[in-house]
Amino acid sequence: MNSHELLLLYNSFVHLIMSGLKGLQGEWHEEASKNITFIVTKDCQLACKYCYLVGKNTKERMSWKTAKQAVDYILSCEKDMTEDSVIFDFIGGEPFLEISLIDRICDYLKMRMYELNHHWFNSYRFSFTTNGLNYDSPKVQQFIAKNDHHLSIVITIDGNKLKHNLNRIYKKDGKGSYDDVVKNIPLWLEQFPEFGTKVTISSADIPYIKESVLHLFGLGIHEVNINVVFENVWKEGDDKRFEEQLMQLADAIIDGGFYEDYVCSFYSENIGKPLDLVLENQNWCGAGMMLSIDALGNFYPCTRFAAYSLRSKKPIIIGNVRDGIDKNKLRPFLTLDRTTQSRQECIDCEVASGCAWCQGENYDAADTNTIYQRATAICKMHKARVRANNYYWNKLYRKLELEGMREEFEKSKPKSNDVIC
Amino acid sequence: MLQYLIILLDETSTSFCHYENANQERKLMPLDVLKEGVRFGMMENLMIQFVYPDYELPQAYQEVVESIDHSKIKPYGQEDADVLIVNGFQKVKADVPVVLRITKQELFVHQEEIAVMLGDVPRLNVVLTDVEAFAEADFETYKKVLAGLSSEVEKLYVDGKSPQLNLLTDRMMLSQMNNCGAGDTSITLAPNGKFYVCPAFYYENEADSIGDLEHGLGIKNKQLYKLEYAPICRHCDAWQCKRCVWLNCKTTLEVNTPSHEQCVVAHLERNASRELLRSIRQHGTFLPEREEIKEIDYLDPFDKRDTWQ
Ligand code: SF4
Ligand code: SF4
Ligand code: SF4
Repeated sequence: MNSHELLLLYNSFVHLIMSGLKGLQGEWHEEASKNITFIVTKDCQLACKYCYLVGKNTKERMSWKTAKQAVDYILSCEKDMTEDSVIFDFIGGEPFLEISLIDRICDYLKMRMYELNHHWFNSYRFSFTTNGLNYDSPKVQQFIAKNDHHLSIVITIDGNKLKHNLNRIYKKDGKGSYDDVVKNIPLWLEQFPEFGTKVTISSADIPYIKESVLHLFGLGIHEVNINVVFENVWKEGDDKRFEEQLMQLADAIIDGGFYEDYVCSFYSENIGKPLDLVLENQNWCGAGMMLSIDALGNFYPCTRFAAYSLRSKKPIIIGNVRDGIDKNKLRPFLTLDRTTQSRQECIDCEVASGCAWCQGENYDAADTNTIYQRATAICKMHKARVRANNYYWNKLYRKLELEGMREEFEKSKPKSNDVIC
Repeated sequence: MLQYLIILLDETSTSFCHYENANQERKLMPLDVLKEGVRFGMMENLMIQFVYPDYELPQAYQEVVESIDHSKIKPYGQEDADVLIVNGFQKVKADVPVVLRITKQELFVHQEEIAVMLGDVPRLNVVLTDVEAFAEADFETYKKVLAGLSSEVEKLYVDGKSPQLNLLTDRMMLSQMNNCGAGDTSITLAPNGKFYVCPAFYYENEADSIGDLEHGLGIKNKQLYKLEYAPICRHCDAWQCKRCVWLNCKTTLEVNTPSHEQCVVAHLERNASRELLRSIRQHGTFLPEREEIKEIDYLDPFDKRDTWQ
C-alpha cells in the first residue's frame, strides 16, 4: 500500500471513529478551545474596500514544509497548550485558494494527533471564513465531505446586492462579487444550516444595514453576526445614521416577527451597562491565547499582528516554527486587562459592556509601540448601538408581554455570538 | 512624579546600569546644552545626576556643574565622585558607594572576592549586565551564590558592621517598591539636547527621544512607566527589583512587562534577603520596625496570575 492509500484508509478510519463518537460524549469545548491560525495565502480574488489586510499579495503562500514544521511544533507543545479543544483556523487572503495544501495539513494533523494520542484528537475543528466564490468547486466539496462533523465554515456576504457590491469587488476588474457568492448560499445552508454569516460595517455601509440584514434573513441565513470596523473611519453624523438604521431594523424584526427564528448580533441584552472595576476587568480579545502562523513560519499572537495587517507598526513576531515560541513575548498579552489599557472615560463609562476592541488595532493606532493603549474610534458607534439596542428590547418585551408570550420567548430565544473581529 | 534628571555629559559617559555604552569617541555635550539642562532641572525642581566620561571636564563645564545641587556618577579611579562605577570585575576600595557592572559568570567566579569587598566600600551595587541571558542552570547557581554572600554579610553584621549589598540588604530595609523609576521619577538628557527614558534608550536608538530642551518633555503613554500600570509588577513584593523598563522593552516588547528572567533573578534575591533577615535576627534585635519577609511559593509572579482579581 502506498502512502496515499494508507492515508485514505486512515481517513475513512478516523471518519468512522468520529462519526461513532459524534453526539456520544460532547467532546467539543468551544469556550475552552485553543485557536491556531494558518495564514495559508495572502492572495484573494477580491479587493474589499474595508479589508484591513494592507499587505495582501500573490507571492506569500505557505509551503508544505513550513506547514508541517508548524504542525510538528504545535503538537509537541501539548503540556503548554492544555485547552480541552482546538480550532485550526485557515485564513488568507482567501483560504480556499489553497485547498490542496489545507487538505494535506488537515490530514497530517489528524494522523499525528492520532499517533501521538494527543488530547485534541477527539476534540478538534477546522474553521474557515471564506468569500464563498469557489465553495462549490469539487476540491472544496471533497474536503467538506471528508471532514464532515469537524468543520465550521462561514461565508462572508455583506447584505443585499447593492451593499455587498459596494465593498466586495473583484481585484481584476472592480466588478461586484454578489452573484457569484449568492449562488453558493443554498448549498452552504444545506451543509451548515446552523452557521451564520459575518457582516462588517464601515462608514459607507450605514444606509444599507436594515435592508441587508433583512435580505440575509430572506436568503435563509438565521444568524447574522455584525461588527463595525475598529479603524478610525467614522465621519461626523455616522452615529446618528447608524442609530436610525438600527431603530428601523429593530422595528422590522419585531413587527415582522423575525425575532422568533432569526438573530442579529447587534441586539444583545448584555450590552450597554457599566462594568465592575475588579470583577469585569478581563481583556476583550483573545490575542496571545491564539497563535497565528504565516508563510515564513513566523508566529504571531493573532493575525492582526502580522505585517500584512498593520498600517503603521512593525509586526509582533513571538517566535517561529524552528525556534518555537518566545514565552516572554506572550507575557504582555496574557496579563493584559481592561482597565490597564483603558482611559478613565472608558473605565467610568456607563455603557461600557459590549464595547469591543481589537488588540491589533489598538497596537496599530497607539502613540507608542504598545498593546496597552485602547483605541476608541468606535465610541460613538457603540453608544448609538446601545440606544437602539435598548429600544429593541423595550419594544420587543412590551409586545411579548401584551401577547402573553414573554415567558415562552425567554425559554426558547435564539442565541447570537458577539463577533469581534 | 518626576524627581531626577540624569545628564550624560559626554557620548562616552560611563554606563552605570544594565546597558552598554560602546561609544569610544569623546564628544562633550555642548556647553549651552548643559546650561539649558541645568536650568530645566532647576525650573522643574529636579535633582541632577551628572554622568561622567573617563577624562577630566574643562573648567567651564565644571563651573556649570557646580552651579546646582547634584550628584556625580564617575568611572572608578576618578576623584570627587558620589558614586563610582566599575565596569567588569576588579577588586576595589572606596569611601563612596560603588556600582560593580558584571556578567553573571563574573559574579559566579568572583563571589568570594566580592564578599571581601563588602568590607572595603560603604555600599556595593552589583548590576548584572546579562540578566536576560539567565538559563535554568544559572538560576540554581545564582541561588547558591546569594546564599554564600549572605553568610558573609551575616558575619559582618555580627561583627557590628553594616555592609550594604543591593542584592541582599535592600529588600530587608524596604517597606515598598523601590524600582529604577525611569520614565516616571527620572529622565535622561543626552548630549544631543534631547530627553530619553534612560541612557539605555538613547544608546539603543537615538530616535527614541521623549522631548527636547526646546519643546519640553512629551512622554507618550507615560502612565505605562508607573507601577500601577504594570500588571505583573503591581502584584509583586520583590521591592528591591529595578523593574528595568529598558530590559522589559527588549525582552517582552512592552515597557510595563518584565521578562521571566528578570522576575526570577529578583525573586531569588528577595528570598535570599528573607533568609538573611531571619539569620541576623537570631543574633539579636534587628530592624524591629520591619516585618518578616513572607515565604512564597513562586519565583515569577506571572505564574500566579490566575489568583489576581
Ligand atoms: S469607547 Fe466609548 S462607549 Fe466604549 S467604553 Fe469607552 S467611553 Fe464607553
Ligand atoms: S531602565 Fe533603569 S534599570 Fe533599566 S537600564 Fe535604564 S536606568 Fe537601568
Ligand atoms: S520581580 Fe518581576 S514582577 Fe517583581 S518588580 Fe521585578 S520585574 Fe516586576
